[in-house]
Amino acid sequence: MLKKEQSDLLTLTGPGTAGGRLFRCYWLPALLSSELPENDCPPVRVKLLSERLLAFRDSEGRLGLIDEFCAHRGVSLWFGRNEEGGLRCPYHGWKYDRTGQCIEVPSEPVESGFCNKIKLKSYPLVERGGVLWTYMGPADKQPPLPEWEFALVPPEQSFMSKRIQESNWLQAMEGGIDSSHVSFLHRGDLNSDPLFRGAKANQYNLKDSRPVFEVVESPGGLFIGARRNAESGNYYWRITQWVMPSFTMIPPRGDHPVHGHFWIPIDDDNCWTWSFDYHPIRALSPGEVAAMRDGKGIHVKYEPGTFRPLANKDNDYLIDRAAQKAGRTFSGVEGIAMQDASLQESMGPIVDRTKENLVSTDNGIIMARHRLVRSVKALTDKDQAPPGVDNAHQQVRSAAVILPPDRPFIEAAKDALVVRAGTSHASV
Amino acid sequence: MQSESARAASAAEARFRIDAPNSQPRSIKVIALDRPSEAIVKRLATSVWGNTSFLTTLASAPPRDAPFSMRGWLADLAGHTKILVDEIEHADLVVMIATAGESIESTSIIGEACSLKRVMTTGLVVTAPSVPAAELSRSLAQLRPWALMLVVASAEDYIADMLMALRA
Ligand code: FES
Ligand SMILES: [Fe+2]
Repeated sequence: MLKKEQSDLLTLTGPGTAGGRLFRCYWLPALLSSELPENDCPPVRVKLLSERLLAFRDSEGRLGLIDEFCAHRGVSLWFGRNEEGGLRCPYHGWKYDRTGQCIEVPSEPVESGFCNKIKLKSYPLVERGGVLWTYMGPADKQPPLPEWEFALVPPEQSFMSKRIQESNWLQAMEGGIDSSHVSFLHRGDLNSDPLFRGAKANQYNLKDSRPVFEVVESPGGLFIGARRNAESGNYYWRITQWVMPSFTMIPPRGDHPVHGHFWIPIDDDNCWTWSFDYHPIRALSPGEVAAMRDGKGIHVKYEPGTFRPLANKDNDYLIDRAAQKAGRTFSGVEGIAMQDASLQESMGPIVDRTKENLVSTDNGIIMARHRLVRSVKALTDKDQAPPGVDNAHQQVRSAAVILPPDRPFIEAAKDALVVRAGTSHASV
Repeated sequence: MQSESARAASAAEARFRIDAPNSQPRSIKVIALDRPSEAIVKRLATSVWGNTSFLTTLASAPPRDAPFSMRGWLADLAGHTKILVDEIEHADLVVMIATAGESIESTSIIGEACSLKRVMTTGLVVTAPSVPAAELSRSLAQLRPWALMLVVASAEDYIADMLMALRA
């Protein structure tokens, strides 16, 4: 159960909201680099934190993220002509540079300098690791660029996808740290999905479907450890990382690439689910990349030409009751990503948390909310930067390890939980 | 035509969620395992809670082979001694609060009783950054066999939030 006021504090992220201020402390993934493939390519509409924006790449390759609407009479600059170092509104020809500065108002004499008085709101847009990142907070508080490992390894070692999720970001993110659902909802996929199957550790998962959980605060968020019995009295640990506000990294399996997500609010009823997959020390194989493109693992197949999943609420997620009955899937929906998304969307745009009945295995979710609320308050009352802004908090890894029974995983797996460049992730 | 899932997931339809209680109050026992935790539990108990009671373990734990009902080591916050089995018999959840670095001998007795009675347990260790890792390890090692959920929190205010979330 969470009080309505507290839920509102976290779920509402538009301009002027407390939760919105929290998100505006971080560099956020805004677009895939491939969405702006070349200079003067078509601009792309981007809605983030309930703000309508337009991303474009000018003639010199410089990136801009500006207010979507022309300051003259409010036309969407999505129809604009991207040419000669700026974006020109097709209605009366006003032209803007990538900072949103108006650089030409054809109806006014050039000498009047009128165009200098017109400037659209804009945010920085920076390429790193196949993603275009933006920072939507006050300029004087802009942190250094993000240093997530997936974005820093050579491009052939990393794969990123995004999909629209038609629910509030928080219930989607909570699904990412809800470790106890894996043994149910995704039961059928461990041994069949090409990006999971074959790992030795899968046998522990399937044999022991009731893991014991340990939730431990980390500098940037949380470690969520799930412990199962392994051979000779040892424990098999799967340690998920959650870094504020909405980054998660799922423990690896065998030598498969390791993956995770960001959940970024589009508006209060929709979010982007970003899904990365990377290997710290080797290129992804053609087979792995093909599987990712084909929507396997945590990725999805799309409605052509969009980032909307092919299985979506308009086609009842292509639910297959026969597959559900036969146990091929637990919920009847195919694929890990849509198994999660279908259920999270079914809660309604913003789930009513006053009606839920959490139990002790939900402590990961309870703790994440607690830390988020605490950080929003510290930010509002004391102007204190939240966890996760610091680059050091981003240099984390999830891990799957076998440990002796008497050691805390934070200590025994210390090295496995941080990035050590040039070494592989700890995995079973 | 709109699919059933699309219509059902809309904000408009969310208004028709049945507005009736969907659970009955649970019985939760919060037990302090050491002195600093007892102070925490006393502070917690000043808020209004539903069907939750707060207990503390007294200075010395009973010998390992003592029967669970042995008197004199479990008490409510007013100092009245309590009998462990009676306390946990009908509990839905037992939350054990420990402070990193303190000795918490009574854990195994409470834990064994809960496991015998099939009562869910949660262990909560409050720790500060200054507490050496070895001391935290010791607390965790003692709690681990008996806690089906273990939480390491950096501040006591988490406990109130957790109890609220669990509808205590
Ligand atoms: S069993 Fe968890 S939401 Fe229904
Ligand atoms: Fe999931």
